[in-house]
Amino acid sequence: MTMFERFQRDARQTVVRAQEEARRLGHDRIDTVHLLIALAGQGDGAGAQALREHGLEAEALRERVRLMPGLGAGPLDGDALASIGIDLDEVRRAVEANFGSGALDQGRAKHRPFGAQAKKALELSLREAIALKHRHIGGGHVLLGLLRASGSDNAALRVLTDAGVDPAELRATATRLIRSDAA
Amino acid sequence: MNDGVKLAQEASSQDPAIGLRAVRALRHLTDRLEALQVGNARGLGWSWQEIAAVLGVSRQAVHKKHARGRLLGKGK
Repeated sequence: MTMFERFQRDARQTVVRAQEEARRLGHDRIDTVHLLIALAGQGDGAGAQALREHGLEAEALRERVRLMPGLGAGPLDGDALASIGIDLDEVRRAVEANFGSGALDQGRAKHRPFGAQAKKALELSLREAIALKHRHIGGGHVLLGLLRASGSDNAALRVLTDAGVDPAELRATATRLIRSDAA
Repeated sequence: MNDGVKLAQEASSQDPAIGLRAVRALRHLTDRLEALQVGNARGLGWSWQEIAAVLGVSRQAVHKKHARGRLLGKGK
Protein backbone atom coordinates (compact mmCIF):
# COMPACT_ATOMS: atom_id res chain seq x y z
CA MET A 1 0.00 0.00 0.00
CA THR A 2 1.41 3.41 -0.84
CA MET A 3 1.29 5.95 1.93
CA PHE A 4 -1.46 8.00 0.32
CA GLU A 5 -3.78 5.02 0.13
CA ARG A 6 -3.80 5.03 3.92
CA PHE A 7 -4.92 8.65 4.08
CA GLN A 8 -8.40 9.31 5.39
CA ARG A 9 -10.56 11.88 3.65
CA ASP A 10 -9.61 14.82 5.90
CA ALA A 11 -5.88 14.13 5.47
CA ARG A 12 -6.25 13.69 1.72
CA GLN A 13 -8.17 16.95 1.37
CA THR A 14 -5.55 18.71 3.49
CA VAL A 15 -2.76 17.57 1.18
CA VAL A 16 -4.68 18.70 -1.91
CA ARG A 17 -5.54 22.05 -0.33
CA ALA A 18 -1.91 22.57 0.75
CA GLN A 19 -1.01 22.69 -2.91
CA GLU A 20 -3.70 25.31 -3.52
CA GLU A 21 -2.35 27.33 -0.58
CA ALA A 22 1.15 27.30 -2.04
CA ARG A 23 -0.26 28.43 -5.37
CA ARG A 24 -2.34 31.22 -3.81
CA LEU A 25 0.67 32.55 -1.96
CA GLY A 26 2.83 32.44 -5.07
CA HIS A 27 5.25 29.95 -3.53
CA ASP A 28 7.17 27.55 -5.71
CA ARG A 29 6.80 24.40 -3.66
CA ILE A 30 4.59 22.93 -0.97
CA ASP A 31 6.15 23.44 2.44
CA THR A 32 5.14 22.44 5.97
CA VAL A 33 3.51 25.86 6.38
CA HIS A 34 1.06 25.14 3.57
CA LEU A 35 0.13 21.83 5.20
CA LEU A 36 -0.43 23.75 8.43
CA ILE A 37 -2.66 26.39 6.82
CA ALA A 38 -4.58 23.69 4.94
CA LEU A 39 -5.10 21.74 8.19
CA ALA A 40 -6.37 24.85 9.93
CA GLY A 41 -8.90 25.39 7.17
CA GLN A 42 -9.95 21.77 6.98
CA GLY A 43 -12.93 22.08 9.28
CA ASP A 44 -13.30 18.45 10.22
CA GLY A 45 -10.90 16.00 11.79
CA ALA A 46 -8.60 15.89 14.78
CA GLY A 47 -5.89 18.04 13.20
CA ALA A 48 -8.22 20.94 12.41
CA GLN A 49 -9.86 20.65 15.79
CA ALA A 50 -6.55 20.67 17.65
CA LEU A 51 -5.49 23.85 15.86
CA ARG A 52 -8.84 25.48 16.66
CA GLU A 53 -8.48 24.61 20.33
CA HIS A 54 -5.18 26.48 20.33
CA GLY A 55 -6.72 29.53 18.71
CA LEU A 56 -5.16 29.05 15.29
CA GLU A 57 -7.14 29.72 12.17
CA ALA A 58 -6.29 29.62 8.49
CA GLU A 59 -6.43 33.29 7.53
CA ALA A 60 -4.22 34.42 10.42
CA LEU A 61 -1.69 31.70 9.59
CA ARG A 62 -1.80 32.69 5.94
CA GLU A 63 -0.93 36.28 6.84
CA ARG A 64 2.07 35.10 8.87
CA VAL A 65 3.28 32.94 6.03
CA ARG A 66 2.56 35.37 3.21
CA LEU A 67 5.87 37.19 3.24
CA MET A 68 8.11 34.53 4.72
CA PRO A 69 11.39 34.49 2.85
CA GLY A 70 12.72 31.36 1.21
CA LEU A 71 9.44 29.95 -0.06
CA GLY A 72 9.66 31.27 -3.56
CA ALA A 73 10.08 34.72 -4.89
CA GLY A 74 6.79 35.99 -3.49
CA PRO A 75 4.68 38.76 -5.02
CA LEU A 76 5.94 40.84 -7.94
CA ASP A 77 7.37 44.19 -6.85
CA GLY A 78 5.29 46.78 -8.67
CA ASP A 79 7.04 49.79 -7.13
CA ALA A 80 10.48 48.57 -8.11
CA LEU A 81 9.32 47.89 -11.66
CA ALA A 82 7.75 51.33 -11.87
CA SER A 83 11.11 52.85 -10.92
CA ILE A 84 12.38 51.65 -14.31
CA GLY A 85 9.24 52.60 -16.20
CA ILE A 86 7.38 49.27 -16.20
CA ASP A 87 3.72 49.43 -15.28
CA LEU A 88 3.06 46.09 -13.64
CA ASP A 89 -0.70 46.55 -13.80
CA GLU A 90 -0.49 46.91 -17.57
CA VAL A 91 1.71 43.86 -17.90
CA ARG A 92 -0.70 41.93 -15.72
CA ARG A 93 -3.68 43.07 -17.78
CA ALA A 94 -2.05 42.01 -21.02
CA VAL A 95 -0.97 38.64 -19.64
CA GLU A 96 -4.37 37.89 -18.16
CA ALA A 97 -6.08 38.83 -21.41
CA ASN A 98 -4.14 36.05 -23.11
CA PHE A 99 -3.61 33.50 -20.38
CA GLY A 100 -6.46 33.97 -17.98
CA SER A 101 -7.05 35.46 -14.58
CA GLY A 102 -4.22 34.95 -12.11
CA ALA A 103 -1.83 33.74 -14.80
CA LEU A 104 0.93 36.19 -13.97
CA ASP A 105 0.75 35.97 -10.21
CA GLN A 106 -0.09 32.33 -9.71
CA GLY A 107 1.25 30.67 -12.82
CA ARG A 108 -0.57 28.24 -15.06
CA ALA A 109 1.04 25.09 -13.76
CA LYS A 110 -1.46 23.52 -11.42
CA HIS A 111 1.06 21.40 -9.66
CA ARG A 112 3.74 22.41 -7.26
CA PRO A 113 6.19 19.84 -6.01
CA PHE A 114 6.47 18.96 -2.35
CA GLY A 115 9.51 20.43 -0.64
CA ALA A 116 11.79 18.14 1.35
CA GLN A 117 10.42 19.19 4.73
CA ALA A 118 6.81 18.71 3.69
CA LYS A 119 7.63 15.24 2.37
CA LYS A 120 9.39 14.44 5.62
CA ALA A 121 6.39 15.65 7.64
CA LEU A 122 4.02 13.43 5.64
CA GLU A 123 6.30 10.39 6.08
CA LEU A 124 6.39 11.13 9.80
CA SER A 125 2.59 11.28 9.87
CA LEU A 126 2.61 7.63 8.78
CA ARG A 127 5.06 6.81 11.59
CA GLU A 128 2.86 8.63 14.08
CA ALA A 129 -0.16 6.59 12.98
CA ILE A 130 1.83 3.37 13.28
CA ALA A 131 3.08 4.39 16.73
CA LEU A 132 -0.53 4.85 17.83
CA LYS A 133 -1.41 1.51 16.20
CA HIS A 134 -3.78 3.12 13.69
CA ARG A 135 -4.15 1.71 10.19
CA HIS A 136 -5.15 4.97 8.59
CA ILE A 137 -3.67 8.46 8.58
CA GLY A 138 -5.96 11.32 9.48
CA GLY A 139 -5.48 15.05 9.82
CA GLY A 140 -4.44 14.55 13.44
CA HIS A 141 -1.54 12.32 12.40
CA VAL A 142 -0.55 14.86 9.75
CA LEU A 143 -0.39 17.50 12.48
CA LEU A 144 1.75 15.19 14.63
CA GLY A 145 4.04 14.64 11.65
CA LEU A 146 4.34 18.40 11.17
CA LEU A 147 5.24 18.79 14.83
CA ARG A 148 7.74 15.94 14.68
CA ALA A 149 9.69 17.20 11.63
CA SER A 150 13.07 18.65 12.62
CA GLY A 151 12.89 22.17 13.96
CA SER A 152 15.71 23.89 12.13
CA ASP A 153 14.12 23.67 8.67
CA ASN A 154 10.53 23.35 9.72
CA ALA A 155 8.86 26.64 8.93
CA ALA A 156 5.53 25.44 10.33
CA LEU A 157 7.09 25.03 13.77
CA ARG A 158 8.43 28.58 13.58
CA VAL A 159 5.01 29.91 12.64
CA LEU A 160 3.43 28.05 15.56
CA THR A 161 5.91 29.28 18.14
CA ASP A 162 5.69 32.82 16.75
CA ALA A 163 1.93 32.58 17.25
CA GLY A 164 2.52 31.72 20.91
CA VAL A 165 1.66 28.03 20.68
CA ASP A 166 3.62 25.45 22.66
CA PRO A 167 4.30 22.56 20.23
CA ALA A 168 4.30 20.03 23.09
CA GLU A 169 0.87 21.17 24.23
CA LEU A 170 -0.44 21.11 20.67
CA ARG A 171 0.92 17.57 20.30
CA ALA A 172 -0.90 16.54 23.47
CA THR A 173 -4.16 18.06 22.24
CA ALA A 174 -3.88 16.38 18.84
CA THR A 175 -3.08 13.01 20.41
CA ARG A 176 -6.06 13.27 22.75
CA LEU A 177 -8.41 14.16 19.87
CA ILE A 178 -7.04 11.38 17.64
CA ARG A 179 -7.56 8.86 20.42
CA SER A 180 -11.10 9.98 21.09
CA ASP A 181 -11.86 9.82 17.35
CA ALA A 182 -10.49 6.30 17.17
CA ALA A 183 -12.27 5.11 20.30
CA MET B 1 -0.34 59.31 -10.98
CA ASN B 2 0.42 56.31 -8.81
CA ASP B 3 3.12 56.08 -6.18
CA GLY B 4 5.34 53.96 -8.41
CA VAL B 5 5.57 56.63 -11.09
CA LYS B 6 6.31 59.24 -8.43
CA LEU B 7 9.01 56.96 -7.14
CA ALA B 8 10.46 56.77 -10.64
CA GLN B 9 10.59 60.52 -10.92
CA GLU B 10 12.06 61.12 -7.52
CA ALA B 11 14.40 58.21 -7.33
CA SER B 12 18.05 58.81 -7.71
CA SER B 13 19.16 56.53 -10.50
CA GLN B 14 22.50 56.21 -8.80
CA ASP B 15 21.03 54.79 -5.62
CA PRO B 16 21.94 51.08 -5.72
CA ALA B 17 19.22 50.23 -3.24
CA ILE B 18 16.59 51.28 -5.74
CA GLY B 19 18.40 50.17 -8.85
CA LEU B 20 19.22 46.69 -7.54
CA ARG B 21 15.71 46.22 -6.22
CA ALA B 22 14.45 47.09 -9.71
CA VAL B 23 16.79 44.53 -11.27
CA ARG B 24 15.53 41.88 -8.87
CA ALA B 25 11.89 42.73 -9.60
CA LEU B 26 12.52 42.65 -13.33
CA ARG B 27 14.25 39.30 -13.09
CA HIS B 28 11.33 37.94 -11.11
CA LEU B 29 8.88 39.25 -13.72
CA THR B 30 11.01 37.77 -16.50
CA ASP B 31 10.98 34.36 -14.78
CA ARG B 32 7.20 34.43 -14.52
CA LEU B 33 6.75 35.47 -18.15
CA GLU B 34 9.26 32.86 -19.32
CA ALA B 35 7.41 30.10 -17.48
CA LEU B 36 4.11 31.22 -19.00
CA GLN B 37 5.48 31.49 -22.53
CA VAL B 38 7.42 28.22 -22.42
CA GLY B 39 4.32 26.47 -21.13
CA ASN B 40 2.24 28.04 -23.87
CA ALA B 41 4.74 27.03 -26.55
CA ARG B 42 4.84 23.44 -25.29
CA GLY B 43 1.06 23.38 -25.25
CA LEU B 44 1.09 24.41 -28.89
CA GLY B 45 3.48 21.59 -29.73
CA TRP B 46 6.78 23.41 -29.87
CA SER B 47 9.84 21.28 -29.21
CA TRP B 48 12.37 22.17 -26.53
CA GLN B 49 14.85 22.90 -29.31
CA GLU B 50 12.51 25.36 -31.01
CA ILE B 51 11.80 27.11 -27.74
CA ALA B 52 15.51 27.28 -26.88
CA ALA B 53 16.32 28.76 -30.28
CA VAL B 54 13.93 31.67 -29.84
CA LEU B 55 15.01 32.21 -26.24
CA GLY B 56 18.64 32.20 -27.27
CA VAL B 57 19.71 29.48 -24.84
CA SER B 58 20.62 25.82 -25.09
CA ARG B 59 18.00 23.09 -25.31
CA GLN B 60 19.47 21.56 -22.16
CA ALA B 61 19.05 24.79 -20.23
CA VAL B 62 15.41 25.27 -21.10
CA HIS B 63 14.64 21.60 -20.51
CA LYS B 64 16.32 21.59 -17.12
CA LYS B 65 14.50 24.70 -16.03
CA HIS B 66 11.02 23.90 -17.24
CA ALA B 67 10.64 20.20 -17.82
CA ARG B 68 10.44 18.82 -14.27
CA GLY B 69 7.49 16.60 -13.58
CA ARG B 70 5.25 18.00 -10.88
CA LEU B 71 2.90 15.22 -9.95
CA LEU B 72 1.31 15.64 -6.58
CA GLY B 73 3.19 13.64 -4.02
CA LYS B 74 5.00 11.45 -6.49
CA GLY B 75 8.49 11.31 -7.92
CA LYS B 76 11.26 13.78 -7.23
